Amino acid sequence: MRPSLPELQRRFAAALQDSAGADSRIGAYRNTVVANYRNALGATYRVVRELTGTPFFNTAVDAFVASHPSTSGDLNAYGGELADFLASYPYGRELDYLADVARLEWALDEANRAADACGSPEATLAALAAIPGSDVAHQRFVLDPSCRFLQSPHPVLRIWQVHQPGAAGDGRVDLRAGGEQLMVRREAATPVIERLPAGDHAFLSSLAAGADLAAALDAALTADATFDLGTALRTHIASGVIMAVAH
Amino acid sequence: MREVLDRRPAVPWFEVHSENYFADGGPALATLERIRAGYPVALHGVGLSLGSTDALDREHLRKLKRLADRIDPALVSEHMCWSSVDGRHFNDLLPLPYNEDALDHLCTRVSEVQDYLGRTIAVENVSSYYAFPESTVPEYEFMAAVAERTGARLLVDVNNIYVNARNHGIDPTAYLAAIAPATVAEIHLAGFDDSGPIVIDTHGAPVAPEVWSLYERAIARFGPVPTLIEWDTDIPSFDVLQREAATAQRVLDHAAVAA
Repeated sequence: MRPSLPELQRRFAAALQDSAGADSRIGAYRNTVVANYRNALGATYRVVRELTGTPFFNTAVDAFVASHPSTSGDLNAYGGELADFLASYPYGRELDYLADVARLEWALDEANRAADACGSPEATLAALAAIPGSDVAHQRFVLDPSCRFLQSPHPVLRIWQVHQPGAAGDGRVDLRAGGEQLMVRREAATPVIERLPAGDHAFLSSLAAGADLAAALDAALTADATFDLGTALRTHIASGVIMAVAH
Repeated sequence: MREVLDRRPAVPWFEVHSENYFADGGPALATLERIRAGYPVALHGVGLSLGSTDALDREHLRKLKRLADRIDPALVSEHMCWSSVDGRHFNDLLPLPYNEDALDHLCTRVSEVQDYLGRTIAVENVSSYYAFPESTVPEYEFMAAVAERTGARLLVDVNNIYVNARNHGIDPTAYLAAIAPATVAEIHLAGFDDSGPIVIDTHGAPVAPEVWSLYERAIARFGPVPTLIEWDTDIPSFDVLQREAATAQRVLDHAAVAA
């Protein structure tokens, strides 16, 4: 009996993934597929590739693709788990900041593709003022959809900066300079990276994760006992990071 | 893209990969909308996996429809191929066997997509390096039947016809003869890599003389169909691209005068 179409596609897929396969016709596809993922992830994780060198990066990408196969026809949305993969990758352990640099590059990529912000600080302040005092503690907020938060024990922003084209200075990084709390956000057309104080970082990332005002304040005070709620609300509503009051 | 907005070149239309504009927002989409304000735009998808026996990816389709509704494209096209099986995507244009099973399946899927989008799509022939022994009809009969059964238009890639003719011994003349001129919505041209045992469609070289000659025959048969030259890797200077485009325009002008 003639094999069915699903069967033929399964067999083709198996041959495609068999790197020892001898059929040069399937091999032509295999080469393209391998190169596509290396190039696509190399574009997203350009600094990671510079830090490891291309041969290391390509080998890691091949292993990543094998353990985290793509499930979407949109290659732009692929590769978000590379940071976690690198954190448990048995090679390159001496570059212990590598996974956090990958997280930063993915956050930039996501910020680029996020929905456009809407609303205005005035409308947010008016909506906030209209909330009865007894309900304010349980209020949730909507953040600019492009905002991403990350923290690292390593100076990842400085590492990222010295690997930008045309970076000024001698390119040296003091790896013991300490950790950073970062916010990535697309302003106008370009994502920007900002260092945040520990309290603001805990506050905003809690709100972004859906916490209400009371829980976000708790998190902020835990991170920094001097955190001031009024200042933080005014600052981040005015900048548009806190985009609206949730309904 | 920025350069396009600044210089407003005299180009008849623009074509983009649909998936590159699947984002919820952001600068790329905003730029495409500004280009659309001045030019027709065609959406050329590479990831729908039309011929896959997995269920159609509804999320992918939803994003394609959202984009098409936003851009109001001159044409939406996809490939006569598959990319995924059992939930795993290879993000490449993989070959179909050309038999009745595959034709039934592909036609059902094309109709499903057309119904969902509320518009006719065009289906493009792909270059291939593997020919299934399970194929029972030539690729061109299969392609012509897709248009006939679904009402879809065809995007004829003349370079892919040439590459497949070389790789599989298909007769390019019979290929052109099998395609009904009225079904052809667009033509693609590209360069290939002929350095190994298989001719590889790289979109990274000038259009070969043999492909230009096949293109002249295609235009003689199909009429002056809108033509796009694909060049995605090792992209040369704008002057080189303009010379390639001018060559295509001469063939089209010649056909228009002869008609």
